[in-house]
Amino acid sequence: MNNIQREAERSDILTEVGKLIIPFIQVFAVYVIFNGHLSPGGGFAGGTILGASMILHRLIFGWDNLISRLTYERVMKWMCASLLIYGALKGYSFLTGGMHWEVWDIPLGTPGKLLSGGFILPLNIAVGIIVSITVYVFFKLFYEGTI
Amino acid sequence: MYNSYPLIIILVLFISAFAIPLFKSIKMARIIGISAAGISLVLSILTLIGVKANGAYYFRVGHFDAPWGIEFHIGIIEGLMGVLFMTVSMAVLWFSIYSIDHDLSKKKVPLFYTLVNLLVGSLLGIVFSDDLFNCFVFIEISSIASCGIVVVKDKKENIKAALKYLILSSLGSGLVLMGIALVYSLTGHLNMAHIHEALVSIYPEHSRNMLIAIGLFTVGLGVKSAMFPLHTWLPDAHTYAPASSSALLSALVLKAYVILYIKIIHRVFGMSIVGDLPVLNIVLLLGAVGMIAGSVLAILQKNLKRMVAYSSVAQMGYVFFGIGLGTTMGLAAAIFQIFNHAFTKSALFLSAGSILEKTGKKNISDLKGIGKEMPFTMAIFTIGGMSLVGIPLLSGFNSKWNFAVAVIEAHRVELLAVVLISSLLNALYYFPVIINGYFGEESLEGKVYRNTERPLKELLPIIVLVLGVIYFGVSGGGLLSLIEAGIPALN
Repeated sequence: MNNIQREAERSDILTEVGKLIIPFIQVFAVYVIFNGHLSPGGGFAGGTILGASMILHRLIFGWDNLISRLTYERVMKWMCASLLIYGALKGYSFLTGGMHWEVWDIPLGTPGKLLSGGFILPLNIAVGIIVSITVYVFFKLFYEGTI
Repeated sequence: MYNSYPLIIILVLFISAFAIPLFKSIKMARIIGISAAGISLVLSILTLIGVKANGAYYFRVGHFDAPWGIEFHIGIIEGLMGVLFMTVSMAVLWFSIYSIDHDLSKKKVPLFYTLVNLLVGSLLGIVFSDDLFNCFVFIEISSIASCGIVVVKDKKENIKAALKYLILSSLGSGLVLMGIALVYSLTGHLNMAHIHEALVSIYPEHSRNMLIAIGLFTVGLGVKSAMFPLHTWLPDAHTYAPASSSALLSALVLKAYVILYIKIIHRVFGMSIVGDLPVLNIVLLLGAVGMIAGSVLAILQKNLKRMVAYSSVAQMGYVFFGIGLGTTMGLAAAIFQIFNHAFTKSALFLSAGSILEKTGKKNISDLKGIGKEMPFTMAIFTIGGMSLVGIPLLSGFNSKWNFAVAVIEAHRVELLAVVLISSLLNALYYFPVIINGYFGEESLEGKVYRNTERPLKELLPIIVLVLGVIYFGVSGGGLLSLIEAGIPALN
């Protein structure tokens, strides 16, 4: 009840500021995730920023917007797919490292460029997706009581 | 080639766990979950064969060598545990095909298989890993997953039991983490072999710190593996969970932490340090008290599953009793008891769960004449109960025999009384259920033969577990000598 009442009192100021600020938060989140191997940040930090933007979107624009397409089943599919990718990549790295196999690795690239750092960039992206969804699902669980 | 199998087992279990939610159907969840467990079972058997032939080895996980990177240490004990865990979880998963729909709503069944694969993978991680912090991470995963398989049945009492379990087991992992932090600050290492080297050299001036650290490990892992006064979460969690979950919780979850405790005593600190401290005597005392108090508490229970759950407290008391003796034979007896209890208790929980599922009767007093209605299920329960009482030709007898031999070898004959009293107390609560189930004119009256019996096909997984109980009872010597051969590699 309380939540619905609160949504009815949505103010114009909140909506306009939200429209302005949310795209910037999301771009910054993607920046943090993609530069995790070059600068402070990474998958976890970027993921929480992305999750925060989703929460803000949900609070300001309510349930009737873009965010309503992120159903529980859909976000869980994304999360499991990311976990599978993470597990496969890291498992491959663990296994080849442990067995001393000289086999194909993700090329290291030039240090300092965006496409460098081998496994770190794809792993950061996977972590970013997982963390943002986890943060969002936790919020939804506590705010609405269900997922 | 076999040396990478432990890592592959854990990867297969973890990756398959997250592949299950991608498919919505229950059938796919079963196929993925059980085939992953099957692959892991085959790989764990191959690992054991390799370790048996060539001895213990270290496996480097990833690209960095020991003090910095993570290592697995696989000896015969670890290999045996891998086979045990995978055999029992395979049987439980097989049984769950027939029974889990009864307990869970359709939406939750794939989640159950995800949680089981995560749980078994993390338990094997605790057993295999040679890195203390890595073990802690696996402990956390297994805590969440084991609370998950309790709460997956969406009832009020399950949520209560799971919260109790979650709070107490978080307390346990917190204490373990503090212990790890203390050891790390003393030595600067997390790898067990390196910690041991450093601890031996600094022992004389830091004996107090080591006492605190080992106390933290004892209490932390004691909460998780239901050491006697710390067992309060166990009866609730095991009683209200679905039958398959209680079997896994009792047979595997308790055991992995004990194996970690054995590794901490023997690999991290080493008997030369632990022998100087009073810790093992306290563990011995708590184990002995648990053996008797667990049984006494079990006698007082009215609910069948709760009685079997309290019996787990008594049986874990045996394990701590064996560890507390501090001798090689005591340790071997404790590890043999882990095998005995894993097979016996999973069979008991699955058959008790079957009785509950088919008749809906929870209380022991309502189960008179159940032997006529469900003769085969009750026969399995009988064999399990007799094994725990210590009837010859069943694994429980061999286990108690080993404890008796260990006690005599350690020149502490007075402890023999504890073993004997505990066995007799076991008889006091298992036999009434069995006798009232099968015999008595008035209790059999009006019961229809095989009225509520499961089809034999659905009992096969429990029969496999019971065959294990009989096998270790008839030829327990092979397993015992294998365990004894594996113990030197623990040091």
